[in-house]
Amino acid sequence: MSRNRTLSNPARALLAALLAAGDRWSHGYELASLTGIKSGTLYPLLIRLEAQGYLAAEWQQPVASGRPPRHAYRLTAAGQRRARAEAAPPGQAAVAGWRAGGAAS
Amino acid sequence: MSNFVRGVASGMLSAAWRLLPPSLAPWARAMNRELAEIGGDGDALLFAFGCLRAILGLAIAARLRSLCAAARDILFPPTPSTRSLPTMNDILARPRLLGLICGAGAVGMGLAYMLAAGAPSRYLLVNLAALVLGASAWLALGRAAGSRLAGAGPAILALAVPLVLTAWFGVASGGASRWVSVGPLNLQVSLILLPAMLVLYARRPDAIGTAGMIAAAVALAAQPDRAMAGVLLAGLLILALATRGRLAMLATAASFAAFGWTLLTPDALAAVPYVDQILYTAFDVHPLAGAAVVIGAAALMAPALIGVSRGAAERPALLAFGGCWMGVVLAAALGNYPTPLVGYGGSAVLGYLLSVALLPGGARQAGGSRAPGSQPIADRGSEQTTSELRVPHPA
Repeated sequence: MSRNRTLSNPARALLAALLAAGDRWSHGYELASLTGIKSGTLYPLLIRLEAQGYLAAEWQQPVASGRPPRHAYRLTAAGQRRARAEAAPPGQAAVAGWRAGGAAS
Repeated sequence: MSNFVRGVASGMLSAAWRLLPPSLAPWARAMNRELAEIGGDGDALLFAFGCLRAILGLAIAARLRSLCAAARDILFPPTPSTRSLPTMNDILARPRLLGLICGAGAVGMGLAYMLAAGAPSRYLLVNLAALVLGASAWLALGRAAGSRLAGAGPAILALAVPLVLTAWFGVASGGASRWVSVGPLNLQVSLILLPAMLVLYARRPDAIGTAGMIAAAVALAAQPDRAMAGVLLAGLLILALATRGRLAMLATAASFAAFGWTLLTPDALAAVPYVDQILYTAFDVHPLAGAAVVIGAAALMAPALIGVSRGAAERPALLAFGGCWMGVVLAAALGNYPTPLVGYGGSAVLGYLLSVALLPGGARQAGGSRAPGSQPIADRGSEQTTSELRVPHPA
């Protein structure tokens, strides 16, 4: 069972950016630019979210030739619930966060 | 310039990802691949530095986790039946671990006494250094001692050789030749090796080991060392009574003869401050110093007493260990012989921790204490004990 801790501000910002992207895949540098999170903080967050089942990650072939494959990310269904719970007003967030955490357990 | 900066950034990450455990390596590659998508060289370099920080943090965390897991496995080896956090009950059920704690505690008590008594700081450092050395040996011998008991006999015979050599070529004082000189220190070889030999022999009393014990008895008679000959006799006698093995009885007879011989030879060594007679003199320093010395000395027998009372595995080994260290403490109480661990002297510290390292690691049973003479529980990872240690279940 995963622990439902209070998220840090960078983690909230990252979840918000990934939620805004919806089903579209995002890349590391793009997320760093959108959220202003330094790469040294971003990747440990991505690793943790993936380990908790909130994030899906896959290697994608490049669109332009000569480029290397890139790692891409988007929220899982549990991740989307968690992100919505984090984005909700404080009163609702507690209940929604508990439900989201329970669902991911 | 651009290619150079990109090359440096990419090279940094390529070199760093090898530090990560395999499960995290794809993430380092993912960071590296992003560099190609970053427009400015400066931004790429900053991104790379951030990634490098992340990789190093992840690598350190992974290493720390594996170190903690390794240390936990050494100190509290998991058994199929129990994989819980260590408790006082776990510690009491593991004679090796309990012995290490008791040894360290006794050295600590001794340091407190020596500080209070105004002993030279060099004495304290020697005991501390011996504790570190002994604890390292304890760690190193951890698993080997359990899994290589088949070589116990030859090991005992090999350990008897230094005892014999010391009798003829060791440092002589007051008509006794018991020490070897290592730099500024004189080490008492029998105090270092004999307890370990006794524990090994109790765990695997075969013919080669018996030859080793007889050789040790001869060496102690030749040195002569009345205290250690008595210790050998005490350990072997307890073992012989516990196992009723013929080989153990033969070794006991040899040690009895050796002890008798040492009684015929006068022991003219004078008491050395902070080494001999401190079970009494410590009380002159302060009652608390005296209590520290007595408690520290008594703690040396705790692994055997607690292990036997809880029905720990390989009862004969625990009994021989207990008999041996009770003999050393008794000798210190009765004559001018080193007071182990609580007095100045690294030999006893090393000897204690070496013998503790060879004790069974800590199989346990659910049913509480075990009746004397019942079949021992096999130590985890150890080979089968000999028929001499096997006593049929009560009818």
